[in-house]
Amino acid sequence: MQLDFVLNLLNSLPLNILVLMLVIPLGGAVLAYLLGDKGARVITLVITTLELSLSLLLILGTPSIGTDPGGMSHTWSYVLARLGTTTDSPVFQIILGVDGISLVMVLLSNLVVWIAAIGSNHIKKSGNVYYALFLLLQTGLLGVFVSLDLIGFFIFWELVLVPMFFIIGKWGEEGSRHASVKFFIYTHLGSAVMLVGFFYLYFMSANFTVDHVPTFSMIALRDIGLDPIIQIGFALAIFMGAGVKLPVFPLHNWLPWAHVKAPTPGSVILAGILLKMGGYAFIRLGLWMVPEAMARLAIPFALVAVFTCIYAAFTAMAQTDMKSLVAYTSINHMAWVLLGVAAYAAGYNSTDPAIQAAANLAIQGSIFMMFSHGTIISVMFIVAGQLKYSAGTREIPDVKGLMNKAPRLAGVMIIASLAAFGLPGFSGFIAEALVIFGAIVIYPLSALIAFGIFLTVGYMLWMLNRIVFSDPDPEKEVSEASWSDLIAPILMLIPVILLGIWPDLVLSIVQPVVELMLTGGIP
Amino acid sequence: MLQLDMIAELLRSIFSPVRDLILTYIPNEWIMSLPAITLVIFGLLALVVGLKYNPLGVSFIGVILASLEMIIFDPGTMSGYSFGNLFLRDAFSDFFIYIVLIVAFLVLMSSSLWGGDKGTYNFLLLVSFAGALWVIMATDLVALFVAWELMSTPTYILVALSPRREAIDGATKYFVIGLLATVLMLLGIALTLGVTGTTDLHAIGSYITGIWTTPSGGESAAYTLLLAMVLFVVSFGFKVGIFPGWQWVPHAYASADGSVTAYLAGGSKKTGVSALMRILMIGFFAAKTEWAPLIAGVAILTMIIGNVLALAQKDIMKMLAYSSIAMMGYLFIGIAAGNEIGMASAVFFAFAHAIMKTAAFILIWAMSLKLAKRITYDDLTGLSKRAPVASAMFAILMLSLAGLPVGVGFWSKLVVFQSAIIADMWWLALIGLLNSVFSLGYYLRVLKYSYMLDPLEDEKLQLPRASMVAVGICVAATILLLVVPNIILDYAFQAAMVFFP
Repeated sequence: MQLDFVLNLLNSLPLNILVLMLVIPLGGAVLAYLLGDKGARVITLVITTLELSLSLLLILGTPSIGTDPGGMSHTWSYVLARLGTTTDSPVFQIILGVDGISLVMVLLSNLVVWIAAIGSNHIKKSGNVYYALFLLLQTGLLGVFVSLDLIGFFIFWELVLVPMFFIIGKWGEEGSRHASVKFFIYTHLGSAVMLVGFFYLYFMSANFTVDHVPTFSMIALRDIGLDPIIQIGFALAIFMGAGVKLPVFPLHNWLPWAHVKAPTPGSVILAGILLKMGGYAFIRLGLWMVPEAMARLAIPFALVAVFTCIYAAFTAMAQTDMKSLVAYTSINHMAWVLLGVAAYAAGYNSTDPAIQAAANLAIQGSIFMMFSHGTIISVMFIVAGQLKYSAGTREIPDVKGLMNKAPRLAGVMIIASLAAFGLPGFSGFIAEALVIFGAIVIYPLSALIAFGIFLTVGYMLWMLNRIVFSDPDPEKEVSEASWSDLIAPILMLIPVILLGIWPDLVLSIVQPVVELMLTGGIP
Repeated sequence: MLQLDMIAELLRSIFSPVRDLILTYIPNEWIMSLPAITLVIFGLLALVVGLKYNPLGVSFIGVILASLEMIIFDPGTMSGYSFGNLFLRDAFSDFFIYIVLIVAFLVLMSSSLWGGDKGTYNFLLLVSFAGALWVIMATDLVALFVAWELMSTPTYILVALSPRREAIDGATKYFVIGLLATVLMLLGIALTLGVTGTTDLHAIGSYITGIWTTPSGGESAAYTLLLAMVLFVVSFGFKVGIFPGWQWVPHAYASADGSVTAYLAGGSKKTGVSALMRILMIGFFAAKTEWAPLIAGVAILTMIIGNVLALAQKDIMKMLAYSSIAMMGYLFIGIAAGNEIGMASAVFFAFAHAIMKTAAFILIWAMSLKLAKRITYDDLTGLSKRAPVASAMFAILMLSLAGLPVGVGFWSKLVVFQSAIIADMWWLALIGLLNSVFSLGYYLRVLKYSYMLDPLEDEKLQLPRASMVAVGICVAATILLLVVPNIILDYAFQAAMVFFP
């Protein structure tokens, strides 16, 4: 999509829009810290709104496939460090740029951060520090999605951990300190292995470039035609780094802890964006950069994905804490992203147009799943957090008769749950349908993942039955949520429903990039 | 033209009359050692002044004058040798000398809290600084030995001078192990002298190159030299605090007064690194295939020992001491890589480590004096409420030491690991990275206590201004160098070029 007046607006900005989007929250963080508790909330709302409108402008004014190298737009680069005294020595640099996939992720992260900022109204102690960290977090998140070189990507990827660690540990509930340390160490371990993969690729790239200068640039690394064996080593490292974030089965242990113990806005950002960083890394660093290696790893990835989905669904069923249930639902849903990635990887090289079309569907489904899950799960987490204030507890067996006592909260919760298990009409359905339609053509056995849907529907409805449609317990106090607490989830339901009936809003941005990827991409 | 050269040029042009004056009166042989000589003179002066007045100002003037002399006598435009061929100033030694001088300045700032008002304390510190400068410049093994003793001996006493009772214990341990190192070093020098007939490092280097290119007939000489090389690694390793000589480090660091600890960790440790690098890269360059695996093994063991034991500590000073052992392990990855980027990364790492660790020790020392007790994790509880600025600075230092992109520690680790990968030692980089993840266990614990737990008492903690300024400078530099690492990195590469002409 490209509108002329938006284009003019983008061109008249003083800085490159991507740089602007990264710098504004950084400046805002300093301002928020200095302004004190009240002012910090105002400035955070202003800045997140500004960022959201900037990202809308960006998405309206930027083509999915730009004219810059690699089909990017708004490319910008900055040399951080030069390793040597001569001008041809290797450099660490930050390269920014967006294509259709990044555009969607940027919009999603700004949307979720905005909602989380609105939903931060229960943060009472040291508000200025909280909001400063919050804005710093936003810079990190955006940076991950717009970086086009491995070092810049890694810096932002790591930068996300620091504020998140503090937000979980300081503003979380009982036991959050342990959760925050666990979160930090798990993800840092994954990143460390990924960094070795980055270096490995960097080192190997010297054998393939024209003048034997190694490079960290993703576009260059994709185009030089690395040996598949090298690519596989790299893809496994990515699996460690992105797999922890996504998360997939053996690496998921940090997630329930962090999600449950974090304050509600923290959970929203964790589930809404941090997990997507994993999915994005699989797509950008895996499928986009080293597709051949991913093709060779497709079967194990698909197996892991299907297993994770069903395993997480069973585990979710056994949870009594509402937040815990939502957290496992996240794992369950992110497995779909991995399945879509695996299906695309398997079908990418096929000459059969039917398989190609299926691969196309699957990857579109993956990206759509990330977007839709980001929106739906935000609502679920806010509602789950709200239970604590309305019913005094999040334990599912202890909350009864929400429909009678708190109809507004119950209404939002019902809509969100229906969306979460993929009822037609909501965005979750489109995402699951796309992934499974694609995957089933390539791996018929992946239809097993439908069992995961079945379980999800089951535990979601069971949960609703226990909380919402049960008879109120006269001994337990349940109060209605105030409108100010419900603004954030209700606003977030708009994209959920909108995308359910008009999925092309997102898909039309992603589609050209996917088609280009299928034909091998342009340099 | 490197980025800070502009400032240096400006200072040179301002002070050019003084420079000419000095050049006419001072023998040419002495010019390049003038900073060290100045430090010795001001040390004596401080001793005399200290009989009646507070001599800290004298020491400051001494360090500032030494830095000025460093700048106005540029080894690029005149001969870098002094006292014959014993001491040499080149890009490599300059880099380390500036590290020592910066640390010296910070240490003196912190000494205003405790010890700085005594003449002996200032005297010993300044003489030790002078020794450190000469160690870095030495290109001859005997000169190196003498300078080494000049640097080490005052520190034994300085450690013992601490207000803490256990300091005598720590100092004794340090002294005994230091003596052992000295003996081993002498043995190494003797073996080298016996085989090669010279103590000049360049001459030794060409002798060893000769033996390694035509080995037949020279096997016994080669083995003797290898033994000497191992002895050098061990004896200098004592000072640096790497395997197998790390045992004294936590004891002495934790019991000495914090300013001295900051100097030991930030300054004198780096001289050991520079001496070892010079010996290995100039003297034993031909034998690189022999010493690279040795250094890699030492690096791995050092990292693991440092990290595991740091995790077990309750005392923050001890934790920092062990973490500095682990950091030296990372540094030696760069030396093990042995290529140009490896040398540059090790040098850069030394700089980054010096500013971060000096600041951390100074901060904890100021707190320890204020609360009149050893600082454990429990004392950090709720620090963010009691002393917000101090706790923010400490948090930045910890995260930077852990290698996260909030400070220069990120680049220093990244470049070190990259050098290992370029040298085809990806396993070494992987072990380093896993260790770096492991180290989060104790760095994050600091953040947990200072930020996530509520304070036990609500009263504000007012830390002394001088130490806070010193720490603030370091933290500002840490963050600045994250954004523009090339200010220092370029000099590090220039220093590394000394070994690869």
